[in-house]
Amino acid sequence: MNPWKTWKKAFDQWESATADLFQTWMKSPMLLEPAGSALSMSMRLKAMSDKMAAGWWGVMGLPTKRDQERTLHALNQLESRLLDLEERLEDLPQAHN
Amino acid sequence: MKGLWNLAKRLVGPQPEVGVTPADTVHRENKWRLLRYRARPQGLAWSTPVLLIPSMINRHYVLDLMPGKSFVEYLVAQGHDVYIIDWGTPGPEDRYLTFDDICDRYIARALRVATKISRQPRAHVMGYCMGGTLAVIHTAVRPRRVASLLALAAPIDFHDDGLLSVWTRSKGFSVGDLTRGMGNVPWPLMQLSFHMLRPTLNLSKSVRLLDRAWDDEFLDGFFASERWGNDNVSFPGAAYRTYIEQLYRGNALIDGSFSLSGQRVDLQRIKCPTLAVTFTHDHIVPTRSAAILADRVGADDVTHWDCPGGHVGAMISRHASTGLWPRLAGWWQAHEAGVAAA
Repeated sequence: MNPWKTWKKAFDQWESATADLFQTWMKSPMLLEPAGSALSMSMRLKAMSDKMAAGWWGVMGLPTKRDQERTLHALNQLESRLLDLEERLEDLPQAHN
Repeated sequence: MKGLWNLAKRLVGPQPEVGVTPADTVHRENKWRLLRYRARPQGLAWSTPVLLIPSMINRHYVLDLMPGKSFVEYLVAQGHDVYIIDWGTPGPEDRYLTFDDICDRYIARALRVATKISRQPRAHVMGYCMGGTLAVIHTAVRPRRVASLLALAAPIDFHDDGLLSVWTRSKGFSVGDLTRGMGNVPWPLMQLSFHMLRPTLNLSKSVRLLDRAWDDEFLDGFFASERWGNDNVSFPGAAYRTYIEQLYRGNALIDGSFSLSGQRVDLQRIKCPTLAVTFTHDHIVPTRSAAILADRVGADDVTHWDCPGGHVGAMISRHASTGLWPRLAGWWQAHEAGVAAA
């Protein structure tokens, strides 16, 4: 038999068994709960540091990143509302007929 | 040796072209746009337009990967009038974009624009993966412009034993902390979670690449699908929070507690012809999670197909062009007469 094919067959068997093992391990609460808590903790720290940085910007009378995001979002929502309104106006003659 | 040389040439050469079926942008709003593919030279054979709704996590061109491996190209060649939503790349301000904005307002707009341009009262709607979940929810609440619903590997019952479901329900994970910290959910984090579904997959793919390095057609497909697989987008924060907390954790579609723009989503309200397609080796959306749609909708004409293949491979493999794609197009074509008469 071709040595590459023999090796590949063995590799496929190993890969399948290892993937199954990983899957069992990945579902374990022993792994999931600490990983989830670590992620949540790091996110809370990031939110806190962002808030502190925004506070400094605010003290200087400058708009924060969050202010700019809110404004841009409001503009996007306004564009969508205008499109909604155009649709309603288009539907009006049909509703009257 | 020839194979290795072939592979080396590909690695240093240009990336394969993806998403090349000619299309025009017919609507643009915030970051998303609606594309309409140009009809074949002989013109359209089927009047009802087809609206394709892809997942928001990946790029839309998975359905138009490359010539010969493009579902869109196949549909156009069959004479269908095809539209697709390209969700685009969310900006930091889209952290406030809600599930209602996306699933109600944007999909309604896409349907409205498509049916208006095609001068038809309704469109066939196909959603793929998370796009299928969006299509199902939208159809349950706003059925007026939907001629038929095709949900391709679309998760409906989120309380399965799949890894994604187990992870999102893990007690330590707080989706609120994640979205407060990051705004949009960053794509590297989501890509990491997909890699963790099968950590040996990259190694396995490398071995397969070496094994088939002599095969130019395989290499074309491999590099195109890798390009797509690594071209991910971040998820709007507020919408992600609803998706995870209500759908994954609360399984709100199944217990009937989910609402869209204040209206309760009752799957029984879906009365149009419905097809749920699942894939036997799908490790992202388990069969049970997607197949349940067929039992829950209120339509008389409901079908479930369990097809061979994996979540992505089944739609982009060489076999799809002679197997799955003709079946999907055939299903729409079989429902065309019903649409015209309605």
